[in-house]
Amino acid sequence: MAVTKLSNSGIKTGVLKYDSMLAGNAPFDPAATWLIQRVNGTGSSGVITFSNIPQTYQHLQIRFIAKNSTTTSVADHLYLQANGLTTSTYYSHFMYGSGTAAFAGNFMTQPQVTIRDAIYRSNATYPNMFGVGIIDIHDYTNTSKLKTVRAFTGRDGNGDGVVTLSSGVYPATSAITSLTLSSATGNFTTTTSFALYGFKG
Amino acid sequence: MIVLPDTSTEVAIATTTLSSAASTITFSSIPSTYTDLRIVLTGTSSSGSPFIRFNSDTGTNYSYTVLRGDGTSASSSRESTLDKIWLSFGAGPSAGNPDFFTVDVFSYAGSTNKTCLTTSSMNHNGTDEEVARNVGLWRSTSAITTITLSRNVGNFNTGTTATLYGIL
Amino acid sequence: MPSSRILIASNTLSSSAASVTFSSIPSTYTDLVLKVSTRTTSTGGGSNGLRIYFNGSGATTNYSYTRLNGNGSAAASAAFTAQADGQFGWSPNDSLTANTFGNSEVYIPNYAGSTNKQFSGFGLSEDNSTTAQMAATAVLFSNTAAITSLTVLGSVDFKSGSTFWLYGLKNS
Repeated sequence: MAVTKLSNSGIKTGVLKYDSMLAGNAPFDPAATWLIQRVNGTGSSGVITFSNIPQTYQHLQIRFIAKNSTTTSVADHLYLQANGLTTSTYYSHFMYGSGTAAFAGNFMTQPQVTIRDAIYRSNATYPNMFGVGIIDIHDYTNTSKLKTVRAFTGRDGNGDGVVTLSSGVYPATSAITSLTLSSATGNFTTTTSFALYGFKG
Repeated sequence: MIVLPDTSTEVAIATTTLSSAASTITFSSIPSTYTDLRIVLTGTSSSGSPFIRFNSDTGTNYSYTVLRGDGTSASSSRESTLDKIWLSFGAGPSAGNPDFFTVDVFSYAGSTNKTCLTTSSMNHNGTDEEVARNVGLWRSTSAITTITLSRNVGNFNTGTTATLYGIL
Repeated sequence: MPSSRILIASNTLSSSAASVTFSSIPSTYTDLVLKVSTRTTSTGGGSNGLRIYFNGSGATTNYSYTRLNGNGSAAASAAFTAQADGQFGWSPNDSLTANTFGNSEVYIPNYAGSTNKQFSGFGLSEDNSTTAQMAATAVLFSNTAAITSLTVLGSVDFKSGSTFWLYGLKNS
């Protein structure tokens, strides 16, 4: 049975018939990238949580811009926990450029994945300057794998700064349903923003 | 009823492929609709190094910190109070081999200073090459409406492609 | 405006395999992005380099790459020329912490163009020890042919459960 497309011109000139439900239209390509949720800092908490993460994607990505309320010294690490796990069973590795030399190291037996030196503090020397980054987690719903985190982060303060590649592990095979990002000190400013994206599989 | 999304999350805003060599590629009238921007640049050149500027600002309002590998050693360096953010950090271009750069600009339409993360891929088969990851800062609270990619010497060759993506 | 990123194909290994190939890649996209989560079957040496070659050209020496690498204690860089493939990440093997798979991604711009191909990798292994490999790479494929297939390999077999996801990005 042919598919009939009804249109103004068709009514005037005769209906068109197609052999496909597309009816002469291009095939629809489903998008692979979706914004799941955005959470902004409140000024009164150093914790941001993505909860009830849908299990309908294949990979997750977090993009962030972050500053905290601590006014002394320069910067803080960004911590990532999954599914509310707070036991000291996470581990992380990193490689970074300090502006003068390249380094590598690790954080073992920690209560979180540690993304090194990713958040600017509210030191008056670095006004309105932020740490930024992209964090990727593949196969977050897979119940046979520990969850490996990969991150590219940086902060520059015109004479100060660090650029870092990080990795870490949420040491459980559970599907990730929540993610908690926290600052090592202080509260996230209201200009801080974390966005969670899903990539379709 | 099938409900389609109103706004796609990752969208190509504009793209250009050079039909003749040019020293500058410009994206202007950038909509404020998205949260972040990504620039993807690939192509060959015969001389100079590429850099990026925002809103045509040629003042010394830029700085960066880079982590770099040149095939021999890993290193890091920094420059401050610059009039640009470099996209390469020591390696020269190759006329026969395209180089590849990405720039992610965060909260580009917001009222904070603008920070970007860049990747540099310049392998030239054993000669004058680098892989780099860089964080750059533009000290301006203005929303970004124009992005300019340029070279300090020479041109981007014919066939160079630059694409601007918006990320919601 | 339509989204730029589309899933082209994926492969989840139900048994070990020496390599994974995506063939008949349409030329209708501008760039390719491959996301992988892999583990290899060997039981010695820690991590295996994760490598890629195109158009079935694994036997040639058309690849060179510059690598920036961290091993959990030191950062280093190395250059490789006249290779049969290009490294874009790392994969843990079966000597490392159980159920740990690597996280790697490679971005291939202008894959259907008529120039040599420069592309970028960022990938890592992980292990509950002070040593774990991560790398950022710049890879050159010295061949002007359009890429119509890509093959991922890791020195030894990939373990069952390793996954590979190929996305296309359109710039217009």
